[in-house]
Amino acid sequence: MKVFLKSEDLKKLLEQFAGAGKLFAPVKKGGYSGWARVSSIDEVVLSGAQAVLQGEEVNTRKPAKVFVFPQSEVMFEFDGERAVEVTEVPEVVVFGLRPCDGRAMAFLERFFVENKPEDPLVRERREKATLIGVACNSPAESCFCTAVGGGPHEGKGLDVLLREVNGGFVGEAVTEKGEKVLAGFPAPSKEAEVEAEKRRQEAEGKMALRIDLKRLKEVLDKGFNSPVWERLTLECVNCGACTFLCPTCHCFDITDETVRGKKKRSRVWDSCQFTLYSQHASGHNPRLNPAGRYRNRVMDKFKYTVDMVGELSCVGCGRCVRVCPAGIDIRVAVAEILEGV
Amino acid sequence: MDKVARLRERAKELLEKQEVVGVLGYRASSRPGISQVAFITRPEEVDRLIFDSACSQNLANYLLKVKDKGKVAVVARGCDSRSIVVLLQEKQIEREKVYILGVGCEGVVVQGEKSVACRSCRYPNPVIYDEMVGEEVHFEPETVEDEFDRLTPDEWWEVLSAEVARCIRCYACRQVCPNCYCPVCFVDASMPALVGKTHNVSDNIVFHIMRALHMAGRCVECGACHRACPMGIDLMRFNRQVAKIVRERFGLVAGAKPDEMPALTIFKPDDPQEFIR
Ligand code: SF4
Ligand code: SF4
Ligand code: SF4
Ligand code: SF4
Repeated sequence: MKVFLKSEDLKKLLEQFAGAGKLFAPVKKGGYSGWARVSSIDEVVLSGAQAVLQGEEVNTRKPAKVFVFPQSEVMFEFDGERAVEVTEVPEVVVFGLRPCDGRAMAFLERFFVENKPEDPLVRERREKATLIGVACNSPAESCFCTAVGGGPHEGKGLDVLLREVNGGFVGEAVTEKGEKVLAGFPAPSKEAEVEAEKRRQEAEGKMALRIDLKRLKEVLDKGFNSPVWERLTLECVNCGACTFLCPTCHCFDITDETVRGKKKRSRVWDSCQFTLYSQHASGHNPRLNPAGRYRNRVMDKFKYTVDMVGELSCVGCGRCVRVCPAGIDIRVAVAEILEGV
Repeated sequence: MDKVARLRERAKELLEKQEVVGVLGYRASSRPGISQVAFITRPEEVDRLIFDSACSQNLANYLLKVKDKGKVAVVARGCDSRSIVVLLQEKQIEREKVYILGVGCEGVVVQGEKSVACRSCRYPNPVIYDEMVGEEVHFEPETVEDEFDRLTPDEWWEVLSAEVARCIRCYACRQVCPNCYCPVCFVDASMPALVGKTHNVSDNIVFHIMRALHMAGRCVECGACHRACPMGIDLMRFNRQVAKIVRERFGLVAGAKPDEMPALTIFKPDDPQEFIR
């Protein structure tokens, strides 16, 4: 289903969601944009479709995964005899996520929900979220979704995809939920569709990187003990910046707390870059060397999740490239692996 | 000859004469505005070395990673050299195993502006070195207002809470700091756990206060942690205040004088604080 929304129509639509207190969208937070509940559409930092921050049109600092897999959430409370489920999952409308984050949502659904046993919290959060994505017309230098099988106008994992053209947006429903959102809007004109297509091609043309994913997988299949890891790793300080901000990174730790008499079990994001991540109860830690930790991250993105659930877990959002304090670029690492393993 | 050319020349000589096993410096990354750390071990690779305003990392941190390889040369500005001093004082490295290539520094530039830490820098030149590469640098440091002086404790709490609310506990700040080398960090202690693992403000503030306190008399205000933070948290607000207290109460500046012992390990008969005397 395809429709056309004039800019004012979109504003009105979003205002309805905002009025109901359900709308989350990118707002300006210091030097970057981040997710917040919005009450007025004017706070949203999409100038048309993209926010210009740091001289580049970049995606939100935190990925949209926070809506299905928050950094910390209470799984249940314990009343002394049994576990009591306490987390109430609210209905939310997320506006302004980009196709890479949409694709990451599809990955998380595949990983947590379709891959049995399912994770009930992720499933419920995804069910109660309506994801209205906006296609990218000007990808950032650090974006590379096309190199990992995605695209700047792709709708996978979203409910609605909006593609900005002159005067408004061509809207496409990706799911039934999306059809409900777009119900009642008129079909787009031929010109609008042609323009959207043209913008897609232009955007794709800006992303020059190509990765031979098949060969990369073959190389990684054999590359566990390769010297390339040591060479690549000196610079990496094994922080959690890249994993925490990656839209598909999904590892968590479980922690118990008693707060004012209430016993809670929570889960919190964990990172394969931390030594504690692989610490055994015996005290033994099989992955003490930093190279092994960096290797795990790359292997996970391009090999392990492919083996496990048949999907890459890098969607090319470029966040890790932008935030790494060591200046490490996963695109360069991949190129070196292809050359050197 | 410019600084970088001289640096490459000296790195080459040191490697060729096998005086060091490697040279720790900077190289360009794929991104504008941030460099990458380089550990050069072959004379033919020295041309990768650079030194400019994108050199964001504190190399003393990396010294800890390569110190077991043998004697290492390291490029050091004022702040890096002070971190080296702190590491020497704390017996983490041996002086004979480090060859310091001193460089004067105009400050790190982030998003077109001089990094917060560098604006008030009083030590652009190394305080300890084996040789200087290029000229010393001199500039007038800016005075950064100490906001905490005019705030009540309650207001402080508000300011700190708001600042750390965005923290995602990725520990990039800890990982890039040369002084954060504890084999088990207090946040990672699990039996018993010392700090809650969620990212709500109360857990975050405990982390930040403990981190700042662990830095007392040790933090050289290089700003590496501030620049590393992916959430833009101004860690210099904490560091500056802690350093100021150490300066006022102990009369000491971390790593500034190689032959002076650090604040928390010495007793001075002329301590500025009355109650200690
Ligand atoms: S690659 Fe960069 S962001 Fe990721 S762990 Fe290493 S230093 Fe941190
Ligand atoms: S690995 Fe990096 S570029 Fe790929 S999805 Fe994760 S954060 Fe984005
Ligand atoms: S680097 Fe920033 S976000 Fe990460 S733990 Fe430190 S203060 Fe928090
Ligand atoms: S705490 Fe920050 S400013 Fe202080 S020495 Fe460590 S990295 Fe540098």
